[in-house]
Amino acid sequence: MALPPKNAPCWLKLANGGMKSLRTSNLGAQMLSQRLELSKLPAPQKAEEVYAFFVKWERGLTNEIAQLSGL
Amino acid sequence: MKSLNLAASDRGRINALLSVDDTIALIRAGALLAIAGRKAALDQLPAGQWIGGTTPYFMTAEGGEIIDDTRLFVTDFSGLGSVRVASYGIDHLHQISEDAPDNGFALAIIPFQSPVHERFAKESGSYPQAFLKPTVGWIAGFDLGEAGASAFVYDGQSATRHGNHAVVLHVDLPAGQYPSVEIVNIFEADGVETIQFDEATFSPSSVLVNGEKRCFVDYVKARGLDGGQLPLVGDYGGARINASIRAVEADKVQLYAPVFPGIDYAFAGAVPDYVGAFGESFAAHPHDGAIWSCNCILNFLFGELEGKDIGGCAGPVTFGEIAYSLVNQTLVQVRAA
Repeated sequence: MALPPKNAPCWLKLANGGMKSLRTSNLGAQMLSQRLELSKLPAPQKAEEVYAFFVKWERGLTNEIAQLSGL
Repeated sequence: MKSLNLAASDRGRINALLSVDDTIALIRAGALLAIAGRKAALDQLPAGQWIGGTTPYFMTAEGGEIIDDTRLFVTDFSGLGSVRVASYGIDHLHQISEDAPDNGFALAIIPFQSPVHERFAKESGSYPQAFLKPTVGWIAGFDLGEAGASAFVYDGQSATRHGNHAVVLHVDLPAGQYPSVEIVNIFEADGVETIQFDEATFSPSSVLVNGEKRCFVDYVKARGLDGGQLPLVGDYGGARINASIRAVEADKVQLYAPVFPGIDYAFAGAVPDYVGAFGESFAAHPHDGAIWSCNCILNFLFGELEGKDIGGCAGPVTFGEIAYSLVNQTLVQVRAA
């Protein structure tokens, strides 16, 4: 499944707490999820960070990417 | 112990205990190395492309070992891609992940109980590039039987010893591979109570237990957990991240890693068969392309791992482990996936 484009709404959903509902055993994704939950950064900035994370680790996140359409 | 054939093509990827002489020969042959051992052995090494840290405790393919100063544990990164040695002072720790290669990772060694240790532990999870360019590594320690001993790291480029620096190998993997950072943690929250802290600290004095403020020392003693075998388990987005008890003092509890506000913790449930649990958890993880691993001194001691194999993993036994940030009582592994 292809990674959604940067302007797709899923990135903002993930930044606004959606990371918590992802089923993942990826340590980086789990720790990033916690950091975003505690972060006071504006949501669009957090969404950029989530997008950059998925772009970088796309090959290892196939299960997580498959869940994005259901957010 | 056999002597090494130093022809690069015959060397394979060394991740084992070697004699000091063989280690010196590897350094002089230009190998890119991470080295661990006692201070007296590390002090003998010449300048080269290596980093080092002190600990006498190791897991080897044959089981846990405590070594003397005639041997060193050597991991050879030659042939893995492009590797670069760096050293960072306390005000530049954020640059470890910034400087890490785009397609690789930073392997860091930091001395226990140093200001660099404390600063890295508290801040590394918030470094901007922390989850894009991972840092793995370990906290250097010492022989627990040696009174007054200290931990040191070594910058091999100058063959210098440091008590308050982070030394780093930046490992740039070949195209087509990426680093996969994984942890093996045998502990799970006991589900008894939710524990929270109101500041980032290695030495909490108070705690919120199910929302009620309590003296942490009294709470730990009342739960009968002052022996330190069972860590606090933090819930980091589903990842179980431990902070282990180092000492219970009159007014505060000293930990091997800081606790943070905003994280739900619980004490770990008891693990009746430590070695069995470790072997099972380790076997459940993929190990293809494993490059490097370390394990915690508390697992070594409480699991009585000396002479016991937990699945063939080999690496230093450490006073803290780094997987993006500082973790405790955990095995850390990085693979080229």
